[in-house]
Amino acid sequence: MKLLRKACILVMTAAVIFSSGCSLESKYDCEFFAMDTVMTINTYGSKSESAVKAAQNEINRLDKLLSVQKENSEIFKLNQSKKMTVSEDTLTLITRSKEIYTLTDGAFDISCEPLIREWGFYSGLENKVPSQKAIETALEGVGAEHIKIENSTVTLDDNTSLDLGGIAKGYASHKAAEILKDNGVTSALMSLGGNVRAVGSKPDGESWSVAITDPDDNSKSIGTLKISDKAVVTSGGYQRYFEENGQIYHHIIDTKTGYPADSGLKSVTIVSDDDALADALSTALFVMGLEKSEEFYSENSSLFGAVFITDKGEIYVTDNLKDSFMSEQGFEVISV
Amino acid sequence: MTNRIWIVVFSVVALLCLGIWLFISNVSSPSKVVGIYKDGSLVEKIDLNSVTDEREITLSGDFGDNVILVSNGRIEMKSADCPDKICVEHGELKSSSSPIVCLPNKVVIKFENSTDGADAKAGAVG
Repeated sequence: MKLLRKACILVMTAAVIFSSGCSLESKYDCEFFAMDTVMTINTYGSKSESAVKAAQNEINRLDKLLSVQKENSEIFKLNQSKKMTVSEDTLTLITRSKEIYTLTDGAFDISCEPLIREWGFYSGLENKVPSQKAIETALEGVGAEHIKIENSTVTLDDNTSLDLGGIAKGYASHKAAEILKDNGVTSALMSLGGNVRAVGSKPDGESWSVAITDPDDNSKSIGTLKISDKAVVTSGGYQRYFEENGQIYHHIIDTKTGYPADSGLKSVTIVSDDDALADALSTALFVMGLEKSEEFYSENSSLFGAVFITDKGEIYVTDNLKDSFMSEQGFEVISV
Repeated sequence: MTNRIWIVVFSVVALLCLGIWLFISNVSSPSKVVGIYKDGSLVEKIDLNSVTDEREITLSGDFGDNVILVSNGRIEMKSADCPDKICVEHGELKSSSSPIVCLPNKVVIKFENSTDGADAKAGAVG
């Protein structure tokens, strides 16, 4: 009888171990289209489904608010009217964008809309190389000094228009991650069109493996980052471009020249706790180029880490990421 | 003595269970299972290794049709009426971190499990 009891305890213990193992593996995936891209949210744990739905709703809400092309969005209306009292989210993002403009000496600039339009990088427009005159005219309204904020009213100069495309997905992934956490999710991985955000670690406690796209062959990776609870955002000329007379023109416009940034980099990947900053810095450092980025890193190394891929295919990694980055190819380490 | 026998017996049973569980979890997640999604909803799940006859799947969207070609061990977007044709240029589906995506028609073709050890891919073109 005693033995039977022991046997029962043993079997029950095994059952508990098994069932807990299974519940750790319970996974809920969601895939949807928003912000002109495809998004996936992978979550683990029992509370996943409702949390993911809430996160998805939040991303869709922000898309309607911040889109430069949706006619009912606040940004669209602001670009039309040039003066508007905006919601808290829009105000937060415009304020933040101006701060990052200053931090990056203008390399990140949300007033780039007239330039992006000239180059035809909006859906429904034809890609074209603009005339020098058209670029000069567009440049007149470019720069954070043309955006004024008073309380919650934003005023734009007459020839200024905003495009939050370089920061909105980062902001959205931050908000979505907060919602997942508030709903009890402790392990999740999101990709908002290639902007990756990890909530916690994998269910087994391991770090997530986030591959970095090979700029020369998008089906391959150039290396892998091991991260937990961070955002990973890559900007690269390979993501959107067109060819005219044998010349490639990509979508990351240097607002100082009005032309696609030609800084010697193929892609920049930023790792940070701050999704919006990661999103904005991936563009800014791409525009700055390696040398200026190294300087920028030495002054702001507590804010982010970065992986650079140069036009020659060399990889440079900031020293705060050297232990979490792996690549079959050798890489140089950038120290503070 | 009998106590020890019981412990041995149940240890063996527990180990066997663990072995079976590991085996099942491996078998149930072969890397060649792909999912075809339209606007976030699963249209069809296919184990590419069990496909014997080549066939086409046609999905209709806002920008016309997407024709998906499935054959043994292989899936690709054969043709599409969408304006940019990025999905067709993608070619064969090769890795889980690079799904075939048609943004205009909201179609995604992807492996259901990781094929390259990565959980996500930064900078992937959506």
